[in-house]
Amino acid sequence: MSGIEEKDGGGISAMPSRRTVLALGAAAASTVVTIRPALAQTAGSVLNCEIPVPGPHAGGQYISAEGSLVSPGTPGAAPPLSRPLTGEEVKALLNSGATPPGVSPQSAQAYANYIRRLQAGMSGFTCYASLQMPR
Amino acid sequence: MSQPRYVADPDGEVRTVQLDGLALLFHRPSGMTHIVAPPAPQILEALRLGPADIGELLGRLRAWYDFEVDEDMEALEARVAELEAAGLVARL
Repeated sequence: MSGIEEKDGGGISAMPSRRTVLALGAAAASTVVTIRPALAQTAGSVLNCEIPVPGPHAGGQYISAEGSLVSPGTPGAAPPLSRPLTGEEVKALLNSGATPPGVSPQSAQAYANYIRRLQAGMSGFTCYASLQMPR
Repeated sequence: MSQPRYVADPDGEVRTVQLDGLALLFHRPSGMTHIVAPPAPQILEALRLGPADIGELLGRLRAWYDFEVDEDMEALEARVAELEAAGLVARL
């Protein structure tokens, strides 16, 4: 990554040889423009999408409290969900900690962490990504 | 009132492309792309050193940069709030 030219690598160790003048700007000025992916246009139906926990690639595996896949029966891990969570349930779970019906709060936390760790290409990722769009 | 502390996603979750004065940031977890102008990339870089409140963040930036005018915390707070709204910075 090219990073910021004066201190590539992200550390303080490489001090800039030439001090750059940085303007924080007037409080009203905006410095961020966000491009939403096309799937954001389907915002109306986002809450109807589904996230399987875990995805079909990991059928039967349990979910640790941190959200990673572990062997079935691992102590402290949550069992796989028998049905996918809906976008609406996931949104409520991630935003306010609301537990989906029939799920214990402890398991719900594990599922929430699993969902937060979803990556592109994994089942449920596009649903999760679209839930993250700013209002 | 205790100061909120902020944290930025690690380097690996944000792909950065420099475009002259602007930077394009692809945020992998959300799949969103952000076009940011200074001082946004500099703030993110400073936050990647670890969580910080506005005062600490200002201190880190002062160590690297000169400020155009006597910059206040309010302007920096506004910049961080934008990054938070975009999902690039989170509150601890």
